[in-house]
Amino acid sequence: MSELTLAAKKRHVTPAAAAGRELYGLLVEFDDVEALKAAARRVREGGYQRWDAHSPFPVHGMDEAMGIRHTRLPWVVFFFGLLGCAAGVLLQWHTNAMDPQQFKFIPTFLQGFDFRISGKPLWSFPANIPVIFEMTVLLAALAAVIGMLAMNGLPRWHHALFGHPRFQRVTTDRFFICVEARDPKFHETRTSELLATLGGSEVERVYWPQRSPPPAWGRITGLIVLCLALFPPLWAYKMNVSLKAQPRIHIIQDMDNQEKYKAQQKNVAFADSRAMRPAIPGTIAREDAWALGTDPHFYEGRVGNAWAASFPPQIEITESLLRRGQRQFNIYCAVCHGLDGSGNGIVAKRAREKTQITSGWVPPTSLHDQTVRDRPVGHLFNTITNGIRTMPPYGDQLSVADRWAIVAYIRALERSQNARLEDVPPEVRSELR
Amino acid sequence: MNSAAPAGVLDEQRRLDDLAPKLALGAVLVGLIGLAVSLVFGFIDGWAVFFRSYILNYAYVLSFALGALFFVLLQHVTRAGWSVVVRRLAEFVAGALPALAVLFVPILVPVLLGFEGVYPWSNAEQRHADPLLEWKSPYLNPAFFVVRCVVYFAVWAWLARYYLRRSLEQDQTGRVESTLAMQRWSGIGIVLYGLTLTFFSIDVIKSLAPEWFSTVFGVYYFSGCVVGFFALLAVGMVGLQRAGRLSRSITVEHYHDVGKLAFGFTVFWAYIAYSQYMLYWYANLPEETFWYSARQETPWWAGVSILLVIGHFVVPLLALISRFPKRRKNWLAAAALWVLVMHWVDVYYLVAPRAAQLHEAHPVSAAPLHVTDVSLLVGLGGLFLFAVVRLMAGRPLMPERDPRLGESLAYENI
Repeated sequence: MSELTLAAKKRHVTPAAAAGRELYGLLVEFDDVEALKAAARRVREGGYQRWDAHSPFPVHGMDEAMGIRHTRLPWVVFFFGLLGCAAGVLLQWHTNAMDPQQFKFIPTFLQGFDFRISGKPLWSFPANIPVIFEMTVLLAALAAVIGMLAMNGLPRWHHALFGHPRFQRVTTDRFFICVEARDPKFHETRTSELLATLGGSEVERVYWPQRSPPPAWGRITGLIVLCLALFPPLWAYKMNVSLKAQPRIHIIQDMDNQEKYKAQQKNVAFADSRAMRPAIPGTIAREDAWALGTDPHFYEGRVGNAWAASFPPQIEITESLLRRGQRQFNIYCAVCHGLDGSGNGIVAKRAREKTQITSGWVPPTSLHDQTVRDRPVGHLFNTITNGIRTMPPYGDQLSVADRWAIVAYIRALERSQNARLEDVPPEVRSELR
Repeated sequence: MNSAAPAGVLDEQRRLDDLAPKLALGAVLVGLIGLAVSLVFGFIDGWAVFFRSYILNYAYVLSFALGALFFVLLQHVTRAGWSVVVRRLAEFVAGALPALAVLFVPILVPVLLGFEGVYPWSNAEQRHADPLLEWKSPYLNPAFFVVRCVVYFAVWAWLARYYLRRSLEQDQTGRVESTLAMQRWSGIGIVLYGLTLTFFSIDVIKSLAPEWFSTVFGVYYFSGCVVGFFALLAVGMVGLQRAGRLSRSITVEHYHDVGKLAFGFTVFWAYIAYSQYMLYWYANLPEETFWYSARQETPWWAGVSILLVIGHFVVPLLALISRFPKRRKNWLAAAALWVLVMHWVDVYYLVAPRAAQLHEAHPVSAAPLHVTDVSLLVGLGGLFLFAVVRLMAGRPLMPERDPRLGESLAYENI
């Protein structure tokens, strides 16, 4: 007779429903907590290691009864906390305070950066603490969660006890002890005898769940899906790299590629094949004339160290020059200085009305003041070019010749307000009276 | 009582009646001697130094009473069960608040006399000379200051006395209405506590540097109060058990919890201290950083700052992080004593520097540490201890008929 039937005959063990399945362990059921705890003590004294007690609620004192040692998880958490701390330090040192010059011996993509942020030192500990703190806590917390799951053997698909019908009551009002067959001291007969004396129900056998093999199409499909799943990461890996000279397929064109010549491109229509045309010989930039200092009289109104007292030779005082000067004066200057040059332009009039801004308002000079009349033309030219006191510069808005024209017109205006009868041509004098 | 209560708990010694008179006498003598010595040195070194040491040690001693009051209120707000065994000790410590109100009066003297060596804003000349003090004078003036301090101490004294009285009366009557009443008042009590403590710390400690401002300062002082109290509680628990009192009711689980709270609030203190520091350091605005500059520029103060970082944060963190030190009395007591010393250094860090850079009219000796700093610690500490021990005499050291006592005696940590 097999040991199994012998045991069944002794009525210690319920007959197996189907012999041949692998035994997971032996299960015994209890009605109350104290019986469970006493039984747990007995099982522990029996020297078993692979066994567990199950109850609907936590039981005080169960750890001692079962002989469960303190968990090692706090050390894991502490270690990962320290690791996180070091990672935070390393991360910030690498990205903020690592001088690439000193680390030329490592590949470029591993060389860090030296970033000065807000004028703080490169490695500034007070600023680095938040990240260090967060990394410490992050890794410690992740270690706690993942470590706890791992040390409990979780996640797992299934547990043999879930297949046992009576075990369902563990979530309600029953307590169980299960000794696994894998325990070194496990012996079908002796273990079941021990369990039978614990004061619980009949000892029951628990079997490993029968696992049906996956369907034939399952493996093939899984393999295909796995291969397909490799495509996106590989594609992403390839995406940023272009190994071909040909451009990529560009479906929506918009105005992306235009028929125009960009700088530095080739254009065979010209003899030198350059799309950019070189400057005409003798071309100088606008600033160069002033910077080169070739003609200070014309460009700056200077002769030597003094303001020019006469117009430059390029400027011919003609009526057309004066008309041009009048036109430009009326456009640019009259708004402040007035059409007659006496300083009552519309801007000045408005400023006087708005008394609040007269505190900072410097009234435009009347061009008929003796001071202005006494000034050499070069000084006036410079004033128009560079501004004076609160007057802005107009050098960027008026060409050099136009500025001299305006100066000539100003002289004419001054003369007009200070003329004598003798200045009027005789043929027109009669019109005055 | 629960069957899981410690064995022999009914037979233990729950009173300090035999030791209390001797302890109280010793404490008051030591306290008065300390005060006398300090007054002598006040004459020698100058009153500015004396009052600086007085404010420093007063804030230190008061922080325990305030931490205790917080603990009592908190346990009632949260309907806590584990702490019942130790709550009476906290009630005694908080019960010293009326005595501390009396000990506060000397601080009012320089304020009312306008002695600019202590609080610059109390002096009318200083106020007129400095436009910023002039602008703050509707708040920072002696009369309003006194009114506010009266309010603070009135609130604290009332809260402390109420909770002690109700708890003691429950020892006689055993009625659950006492617990319900204490719970009912605890919510508003905590709100009042928060407001009064915040403004007290601003008025008495932060206004030593009246040009400075920090919105988290009240929380900073509060965190110090709580850390200090838990350290004191741990030391007190160990001390009482060494003297044979409460040897059964206070179990390793209670030590574990007090250790946990001391650890947690140490981290909290560091968090608050750092958050105040980092914002001012990063913005680097001179109107804010001068307070920290005074605490960093000289080698002495830089050393004190580093000492706080290492000694008040790193060392207690590592000492109390694991469960085992918290469950061993000697280890916990050693760590707690260390924290008590560091807490004094923290209050010293808050009060001493600016107060030491006083105006030329009251030159102080260059040393940042004075005899009065230590002698007033002895003086005020002794008087504080006297006030607490006097309350303990003739009263049970544990709420004997609290409805949650059973839960507390059977308390187990995981």
